[in-house]
Amino acid sequence: MRSTTTTLLAAGLGVALLAGCTSADAEPAASGAAEEQTITVYTSEPQEKIDEIVAAFEAANPGITVEVFRAGTGDLTARIAAEQQSGEVQADVLLAADAATFEGYAADDLLLELDTADVDALDPAVVDPESFYVGTRIIPTVIAYNTSLVEEPPTSWEQLTEAEYANQIVMPNPDVSGAAAYNAAVWLDEPQLGDAWLEALAANEPVIADSNGPVSQAVATGTQPIGIVVDYLVRDLAAAGSPVAVSYPEEGVPFVSQPAGIFASTDAPEASQAFVDFLVSVEGQELAVEQAYLPVRGDVGTPEGAPSMDEIAILAPELDTILATQDEAVSRFNALFQ
Amino acid sequence: MPSSSDVIDAGPAARRARVAAPGALRVGRVRDLLRGTVPVRVVAWVAVAALVGVPLVAVLSLAIASGQIGILASEDVAVAAWHSAVSSVLGAAGAVVLGGALAIVLERTDVPGRAALRLLACSPLLMPPFVGAIAWIGVAGPMSPVNRWWTETFGGPLWSIYGGDGVVFLLVVHGYPVAMLIVGAALRRLPADLEQAARIAGASTLRAFAAVVVPLLRPALLSSATLLAVSNLADFGIPSIVGLPERFTTLSTLVYRYLQSATVDDPLGAVATIGSVLLAVALAGLVADALIGRRRVELDAGASAPARTPLGAWRLPIAAGSWIVVAALTVLPIVALATQSLVPAAGVPLTWETVTLDNLVRAVTSEHALAGMRTSIMLAVLAAVVCTVLGLVVGALVTRTRSRDNRALHAAAIVPQAIPGLVIAVAWLVIAPRIGLFDTPWIILVAYVTAFLGLVVQAVHAPLSATSTTAEEAARVAGASPLRALVDVSWRMATPAAIAGGVLVLLTAARELTLSALLLSPGAQTLGVAIFNLQQAGDYNAASALSLVVALVGLAGLGLAARTPQERS
Repeated sequence: MRSTTTTLLAAGLGVALLAGCTSADAEPAASGAAEEQTITVYTSEPQEKIDEIVAAFEAANPGITVEVFRAGTGDLTARIAAEQQSGEVQADVLLAADAATFEGYAADDLLLELDTADVDALDPAVVDPESFYVGTRIIPTVIAYNTSLVEEPPTSWEQLTEAEYANQIVMPNPDVSGAAAYNAAVWLDEPQLGDAWLEALAANEPVIADSNGPVSQAVATGTQPIGIVVDYLVRDLAAAGSPVAVSYPEEGVPFVSQPAGIFASTDAPEASQAFVDFLVSVEGQELAVEQAYLPVRGDVGTPEGAPSMDEIAILAPELDTILATQDEAVSRFNALFQ
Repeated sequence: MPSSSDVIDAGPAARRARVAAPGALRVGRVRDLLRGTVPVRVVAWVAVAALVGVPLVAVLSLAIASGQIGILASEDVAVAAWHSAVSSVLGAAGAVVLGGALAIVLERTDVPGRAALRLLACSPLLMPPFVGAIAWIGVAGPMSPVNRWWTETFGGPLWSIYGGDGVVFLLVVHGYPVAMLIVGAALRRLPADLEQAARIAGASTLRAFAAVVVPLLRPALLSSATLLAVSNLADFGIPSIVGLPERFTTLSTLVYRYLQSATVDDPLGAVATIGSVLLAVALAGLVADALIGRRRVELDAGASAPARTPLGAWRLPIAAGSWIVVAALTVLPIVALATQSLVPAAGVPLTWETVTLDNLVRAVTSEHALAGMRTSIMLAVLAAVVCTVLGLVVGALVTRTRSRDNRALHAAAIVPQAIPGLVIAVAWLVIAPRIGLFDTPWIILVAYVTAFLGLVVQAVHAPLSATSTTAEEAARVAGASPLRALVDVSWRMATPAAIAGGVLVLLTAARELTLSALLLSPGAQTLGVAIFNLQQAGDYNAASALSLVVALVGLAGLGLAARTPQERS
């Protein structure tokens, strides 16, 4: 019986493979017309924001059509890995995640070297020295608080370890959120904070929500009135009317930069580069500011309710150090916050 | 149990069969059945091999090729596997107890408002688990109004939904409607004569019920428990939202950790390896199920329609109890969703000044939501049709015919239930370019069939495994070929159950998230993804509004669908 089963399985596979051959032949050749180009962008940007970006880009670059695949970072990683498994990466541009993911792809020779226009105008902290990717926004992790429940918001990371904040704090899970994993490494690396601080924070028993979205939600609804969360989500909620505000801790804020890069397998390198250029251009960054993000260039202001860029202390340790310690930091975090 | 088919006026074949020795008859029948139904069996195996075998082989080969068997020895995996097994089994047990009790109340008693109660009890099916979980955090989270009041009064929260107990609770809430539908379908098939005989012999209603009906329901209870335990293994939304805050990791949430971690060089391999572990856990569960379920009760097709038991003095207490439980489990999250839909942003109190319909208007007019609805409805209908037909064929074969490969076919059809959507999606993503389906909606349809076929197979298995094959035997005796008996008798008998399973597929697929999130082509949307995208963007109010619309439209659809058969019976 077992052999029958195996034969049937093999037959099924055979049929599937045959079907593959025939339809592969029927597939139309990739269009090569220089003016009419389509690029595919894989991104974790919120849908509404990427729609606005694409609309602005297409208006400024007639002839280039942008197709968007939006998903969470984990899903993007899985999809890209699966595409590699069965051929080549189908995306032209990746706009997502953190520098660590891009460093990994660059090491695997999956990325094209960028030639970003006007790169000198950008904050050097977001530009990859090897030019495989460029940050497109500053997304700092800050302290958010519910304005109807908290009168005097904490102004430093240190304050969060005080007893009055026991059971009042919510923060994202570094196992789920790439930004949270990065933050854990930065906090541990920062001499002012380090392991002692993380231990003291753990003593206040923060709730570990799965990602930044639920954290901002918990703060807005007052489930936990204090949150450790990325800043733009809080500004979005405040703009919609939620009783939330942001406090930038004085020790400085760790940030991720939502980098953009181009896959080496692209067949539209110019159009892809045009898209990346647009993201960091004055127009693209003004749009980012409108969308409540801190920009990567100094000449476009900051979102309503945010301090100017030079008033925000930023923690930007060596990326290599952070990458080397990130996994250790996550396991330390997991051990402390059991 | 003696069969009423003996009295059928038999043809010459039957007369010949009757004179033959019993042993010879048995062997001959098995051979005949096999001979006549072999083409159907081959078709079923080819379909299951293509739709289930191919992706499972892809998962296993990715796992083997990655050589990451080592991670299985890690403590993380062991702990997560333990959590997965415990929460799945407890969640399934709770769901079967609750769903079974509700099915009995709804099918066999005269509680008032049964139709409305049934409909309301089905509503958790219509809510994506990740939405339900968030709604429940509002109700029973550590800082929810109830818990905050309790803390202020008694110095500690009443019960926080975070943690393993919350995961089990939500698995019960989202699972019991499935058990209720499966057990309900089985109850409608139970003949009333046995119960009546017990009553005539002097047994009380309760005694007759406990001694006759409950044992006869055993196969349906076991079938739904197996289905739920296996599919609980794959659930991601619930453990990730209420389990992770208390570090309650399951294998399906661990998959995401490996995808995120920078140390794992080959995320696909790690994902596939965990998928293979889940496959093994599910297979072990199925083996256990087969051992427990070996003792079978078989009964004839009912001669008389089951009667409702008048509850007498108990009518009101039982009605009140059922209504309170169902309302607490379903109305609270719907109210939480509705409240969120009607306020402009999280944390804004609901008052006449703040109430707004913007979210609802956006939910039903936004381009993405509409595109998602179109895609989801098309895919869900097609998936339901394919699963109903294939599930009917497979379910009837494995319960109505005798063959050594029945168990294997049955297991193959339901194991994908145990594998997280992400893993099945990765498998199809690897296969898609080779079969020319990459970036088409058809790859999602194929993945839906892989993932949901088990729902129909199990819905068919539940009632039919408890019915003896005398009807088919009668057909054979009357001269029908084995194939004819399968088509005319078995399939007809199984069709209502298959349709009930198909409705489950329709409802599940219409709001599916994890498969379509990975398999969509750029620019396309499904309803589940549209809701998830809104939520990821921090716009929970619009996400709630869209979920509410889905739940209400689904309830209305279910209400219409439920009317027709009830009026007929």
